[in-house]
Amino acid sequence: MRIQTPIIILVLLILFSSSCQKVITPQLSNGAPQLVIEGAVSDTTGPYHINISKTVSFYADNTYPNVSGASVTITDQTAGVNDLLTETSTGVYTTHIIVGTPGHTYQLQVVLNGKNYTAVSTMPLPVALDSITFDYTSVKNMIQPVVHYQDPAAFVNYYKYNITVNGVKLNRFQTDEDRLMNGKYINEDLVTDTGAIKKNNLVLVNLDGIDKGAYNFLQEAENIAFYNDQLATPATPTSNISGGCLGYFSAQTVSSKSAVVK
Amino acid sequence: MLQLKHLVIILLLLSPGLVLAQSKKTFTISGTIKDKASGETLPAATVSFVELPGKGVTSNSYGFYAISIPEGSYTMLTTYTGYTTDTLKILLTKNMLINKSLASASGQLQEVKIKSSTARSNNILTTPAGVQRLNIKDINNVPVLLGEKDVLKTIQLLPGIVSAGDGNAGFFVRGGAADQNLILLDEATVYNPSHFLGFFSVFNSDAIKDISIYKGGMPANYGGRLSSVEDIQMNDGNNQKFGASGGIGLIASRLTVDGPLFDNKGSFIISARRSYVDLFTGFASDTTTKHSKIYFYDVNLKGNYQLDSINRIFLSGYFGKDVMSFRNSYGLDYGNSTGTLRWNHIFSSKLFSNTSLIYSNYTYDVNIDDNTDNIKVSSAITDYHFKQDFTYYLNASNKLGFGLESTYHITQPGTAVATASSSYNDVFLEKKYALESALYLSDEWNASDKLKITYGVRLSDLSVLGPGNFYTYDKDGNKTDSTYYKSGKIVKSYITPEPRFAASYQLNPNSSVKLSYDRNVQNIHLLNNSAYLSTTNVYLPSSNNIKPEIADQAALGYYHTFHNNGFEFSSEIYYKNLQNQIDYKNGADLVGNPNIEADLLYGSGRAYGWETYIKKKSGKFTGWISYTLSKTELKIPGINNGDYYPATQDQTNHISLVGMYQATKKWTFSADFVYNTGDAVTWPSGKFSVDGAPVYYYGARNSNRLPAYNRLDIGATLLAKKTAKYESSWTFSIYNLYGQSNPYDIIFQADPNNANKTQVQQTTLFKMVPSVTYNFKF
Repeated sequence: MRIQTPIIILVLLILFSSSCQKVITPQLSNGAPQLVIEGAVSDTTGPYHINISKTVSFYADNTYPNVSGASVTITDQTAGVNDLLTETSTGVYTTHIIVGTPGHTYQLQVVLNGKNYTAVSTMPLPVALDSITFDYTSVKNMIQPVVHYQDPAAFVNYYKYNITVNGVKLNRFQTDEDRLMNGKYINEDLVTDTGAIKKNNLVLVNLDGIDKGAYNFLQEAENIAFYNDQLATPATPTSNISGGCLGYFSAQTVSSKSAVVK
Repeated sequence: MLQLKHLVIILLLLSPGLVLAQSKKTFTISGTIKDKASGETLPAATVSFVELPGKGVTSNSYGFYAISIPEGSYTMLTTYTGYTTDTLKILLTKNMLINKSLASASGQLQEVKIKSSTARSNNILTTPAGVQRLNIKDINNVPVLLGEKDVLKTIQLLPGIVSAGDGNAGFFVRGGAADQNLILLDEATVYNPSHFLGFFSVFNSDAIKDISIYKGGMPANYGGRLSSVEDIQMNDGNNQKFGASGGIGLIASRLTVDGPLFDNKGSFIISARRSYVDLFTGFASDTTTKHSKIYFYDVNLKGNYQLDSINRIFLSGYFGKDVMSFRNSYGLDYGNSTGTLRWNHIFSSKLFSNTSLIYSNYTYDVNIDDNTDNIKVSSAITDYHFKQDFTYYLNASNKLGFGLESTYHITQPGTAVATASSSYNDVFLEKKYALESALYLSDEWNASDKLKITYGVRLSDLSVLGPGNFYTYDKDGNKTDSTYYKSGKIVKSYITPEPRFAASYQLNPNSSVKLSYDRNVQNIHLLNNSAYLSTTNVYLPSSNNIKPEIADQAALGYYHTFHNNGFEFSSEIYYKNLQNQIDYKNGADLVGNPNIEADLLYGSGRAYGWETYIKKKSGKFTGWISYTLSKTELKIPGINNGDYYPATQDQTNHISLVGMYQATKKWTFSADFVYNTGDAVTWPSGKFSVDGAPVYYYGARNSNRLPAYNRLDIGATLLAKKTAKYESSWTFSIYNLYGQSNPYDIIFQADPNNANKTQVQQTTLFKMVPSVTYNFKF
């Protein structure tokens, strides 16, 4: 529940018309490039991909150097299936035989330069998105998709949302957990940037069911990516991959719905 | 009374300062010191005698004083800053009751002449190290944001006290966190002293008489917070005549009415304030603004009644609220309410007693009512507090203070009530109960005419009480055990002795050195991992998991007055050791979290610094310069590899300059300048991509610095009209005159104009804010 944000904006808006924003370029320390592993197995048809790259400094372009030459294995521990991935393009490793199945536990193993990185993720049971509608907010040019679905009461659920507009995926994600809404019918506004969604756009929303480990990483990453100014002490999101790298591995279910903005 | 006598005898036996035999016959002079015009009692006024250099006493917070001296004839001096010194010849052959009414020195900035060899600045001997006292007159001319006179903003110009930034009511004292300040209004704790999320403080300066700030050398009657005490006293109201005063400002208007009650045996004051920006937002063309509202109001009430010469009762209260709503869909309201009932009783000319019953509450509610959800989230803390203080004026050299207090805290960490159609379930976190008690004893001992020692001890106890479930957690925050305790059962007790010691030694008539050591314990912890001093605060008492926070502080200071007491100089160094400090695990969620204690980390800290202060107290031009050099570090296992790192509030250099110039009878000009090192912050050392969005990674905690903060404000007051019956004035001010872009918010984000880049965006709140306020009084 991000309650404070609109209130602070409001105070700024109404009280202090003298407030202003500007882009600054403070000096930042450049840490040594870190290894980033990101990938998922889902209940949609494969193949699935694992992407290995390196971090860049803050002021550099958002182009992350891919890392090749890793040995990447995904094991379906429930079914006892082992899949050695092939590097199909630089830093992108692709599965062959693994089939994502809800309830199964998957292990990711990456060996690179003699170092081992491992993660385990269990695919939750699927939760279906019923529909999406739109909230035409009173903020100018801001249209927010609203998701509608039933949270299952019998399980602890974690979710991630992504939005695609006219076939282009927005560089944004949002997480949710049912800690305060277990078993409820959920209607939730998704956060979008002003102007990101316009009239007559075809909007597709993905609802991913994820497990706790992936959620912990993604929820911290979401706060760091979009709300880092509100954190008293921002810190690197805790990866669910052990061995000393960034990123996450998720076994997840996917449900999507689309609608045209009227 | 019998028990009291026993207690006094025990004190006599225990205290080394008390064994000075009294050979000559002594008598006691006692009484109350008041303002002549209004009848307001004057706290910390000084009574001394020309014939007895070095002996003297200050009135307590109710204006009462007593002193025992050998029989003889004396010239008694009664002094109070800003008032004409009263001189009285007395022949002391029996106990005497001498009530004094002092006249305010005409012209607010005129020099106060203190005569004879006993002349000495308040600061030289009477005030312990680390104590600062501000009369409300001192702050009236300091320019402030939008003309709202503000005690809490003004004290941030004093050494050792630094602001948490523009738009933040929080302040840091000697490296302590914002929740480590005990803010008292007529003895009641004010948990959240902010209006408009921190732009203004809740204290309406029209209703305030006096503020005492203790940064160290805390007297034993105060306890409960690590860093400081801000003891704010409300005005009692004029018991001579009815009056009204008020002001019309850009943000808010104020009105105060006071006057006598019951044939001048009592008086009352009512002071109210309300902001009115919201009256204009309805006309706004922007729909967001139009459908939003924001206002605050506060009311101070106080009445007192002198039953007879030895009994006086006071009833005071504060009630304030902030209401905000955004697009009719998000609402936030919060406020404090306090009430204090006090009974002053003079048992004898030597024994003064005050009994207080105090209520204090802070509540916030968040309402979300958009087309998908309807939910109300609330949290509160309520205190029921009993306090009994005695002052025993044993003899000319010893003044004993002793007493006890007990506070029953009920905290409601959070409830959420949702409608059936809402996406949220109702949440009811268990209420937490605790009883915080203390016994204290201290002696102010004038060991010689040059040496004054105040020593004592406070024994504090925090008992965690049922009903409720109490959990233990392992290192990873998983529950390992759960026990249910019934109502009233003690879950855990923490008893901590808190020694307090302060000594001053006068080197010569103009200078002294001071030394202090004190320990403070804090049992109410504010949890907040947001960068803003948010209103959605969670207060938790110490528990089986959260241990009391402890601070030990030693300070050494040098004081000097010169130029016939027209200047005052002080320099102090301090070192503070902190235990059981609280921090948070990454991603800790403090809202609606029943296992919040599993997300906490505990560690230690240290703070040290050097403060220098020079003040020009008299003449047409008055003001001060204050400089602080300091360091504050924390060491918390799990953060920064367990190494020391700078606390957020570690501002290495802090300078403030305040000047006021009375140019003519009509015009007074003022200015203040502030500079401080930026807070320690954690900024990215690089970035990577998660689902296409840039996400940042971080190096060592708090290894970056905000840009240095600096600002110049100017003000002018025009006394428009002054007659015996009516007075009016205009106050003009410009906050941040040269438009310095001090950061309020800094966000690292994707560049909205270039998908391949990230950028740093800074928001500045106040770039040159002019204001005008009209004040009246009749």
